Amino acid sequence: MYIFKYKELINNLVISDLKTKYSSSILGFAWSMLNPLLMMIVLYAVFNNVFKSNQNNYAFYLLIGMTTWRFFANSTTMAIYSIVGKANLVTKIYIPREILTMSVVISALVSSLLEFVVLIAILAVFGIVTSFKVLIFPLLYVFYFPIVYGVSLMLASLYVYFRDLNHIWEVLVQIGFFLSPIVYPMSTIPEEYKFYYMLNPITRIIEMYRDILLYGTIPKITDFGLVLVFGIFLSTFGSIIFRKLSRRFAEEI
Amino acid sequence: MFLKNGNNGNDDTIVVENISKHFKIPHEKKRTVFESVVGVFKGKNGYEEFWALRDVSFTIKRGDTIGIIGENGSGKSTLLKIIAGVLYPDSGKIKVNGNIAPFLELGVGFQSELTARDNVYLYGAIMGISKKEITKRYDDIFEFAELKRFENMKLKNFSSGMTMRLAFSTAIYTNSDIFLIDEVLAVGDESFQKKCSEKFDEFKKDEKTIILVSHALGSVKKICKKAILLSDGKIASEGECGKVIDDYHKLLDRG
Repeated sequence: MYIFKYKELINNLVISDLKTKYSSSILGFAWSMLNPLLMMIVLYAVFNNVFKSNQNNYAFYLLIGMTTWRFFANSTTMAIYSIVGKANLVTKIYIPREILTMSVVISALVSSLLEFVVLIAILAVFGIVTSFKVLIFPLLYVFYFPIVYGVSLMLASLYVYFRDLNHIWEVLVQIGFFLSPIVYPMSTIPEEYKFYYMLNPITRIIEMYRDILLYGTIPKITDFGLVLVFGIFLSTFGSIIFRKLSRRFAEEI
Repeated sequence: MFLKNGNNGNDDTIVVENISKHFKIPHEKKRTVFESVVGVFKGKNGYEEFWALRDVSFTIKRGDTIGIIGENGSGKSTLLKIIAGVLYPDSGKIKVNGNIAPFLELGVGFQSELTARDNVYLYGAIMGISKKEITKRYDDIFEFAELKRFENMKLKNFSSGMTMRLAFSTAIYTNSDIFLIDEVLAVGDESFQKKCSEKFDEFKKDEKTIILVSHALGSVKKICKKAILLSDGKIASEGECGKVIDDYHKLLDRG
């Protein structure tokens, strides 16, 4: 399969992507951590008064939700440029084009892992995290990745044809942020809308991260199952669209 | 499977069957969701069609050296890009047996901030070659490029000639079966060119397949045994190189 033949290229692309992201090494990374922390403080100040009674540890509730969401948001908003931004590698040489999108998603995954490591350290300092059980959290990425990758494939290939998709997507990401249980607890959703609300797979994933990191429990097996179904569906659907659209990438780019 | 590089009774390296390719050139280029939606309401969807290739078929055997010639816009580069897998045909089939080293453009993906050494590995990776394979040929690559002294220098300090030599040498040592070359032979000075043509002679002996697209009929004649003449996206003549070049001259005189 192409992933194995081109693993060195994927490596290369991921590393150079991370290098530019954290260009000034440690300071670059500090900034990427500061962003969600500052966001959290603002949201905390605003929303803590609204939902005060429902949620203990609201600050950490928020922080875990936001960090989980960031993988999806960062990955898709960067992956949308993954084909157009590497026009050279599309029009002048043959490589399986999925590689370009995949390496952006992998790079976002590495960033997300780093953010969670820092987050877990903070949780440990505040005594929220007490057992080594939290260390299974990377397992969640196995279920999260296919969802993000599938959406990224769709966006990256459609952006070649529609150059304002990035603006539309930015708005949708904003809407998605509030359609997911990040700043408010799930209990605020009226029972009759629950079914539709849960169609957003990120909702379930955020809850799974909270199960492990905040409540110290292992998510239900049905949660894993449902998220996996979403992941398989989205990555298959994304790959089909991508493959179809990639036939004319070199002409349209 | 067992005779991957051997002669397994099928000498056809590239089989092209009835390939057609056209490009749509819209009157108003719609590149956004917004414009597409507005365009639907306005009912404006006009575009020019340009047929780059029409019903082209041929077979290339292992060890063949083929030149593709023709005027500008006759479809040569489109054909080469389809063989390389960069473009897809609208209709028709193409079968390729073997690894392709595309020289559509040299040094694709080179990064000026990296050293020559890192760029060689990067270029290898882009062509799907493992680190191990590159390491094996590393010395050969730099020796051929005559850049051994500069292996740790950043590419931004290279002259364009040096960069091209580095790219060319890396591509040459990929151990591919099929070489697609689009007018890149004018690399380096005379002595480097001489080395290149010696290398191509070596390839011919090793039964590698070479496809060369060029306007330089001299080098086509020197390297290729056979040739294909394209005119308006169709094959106007094919066969022995000298004959096809004569046909090309006739075509030019007529036009």
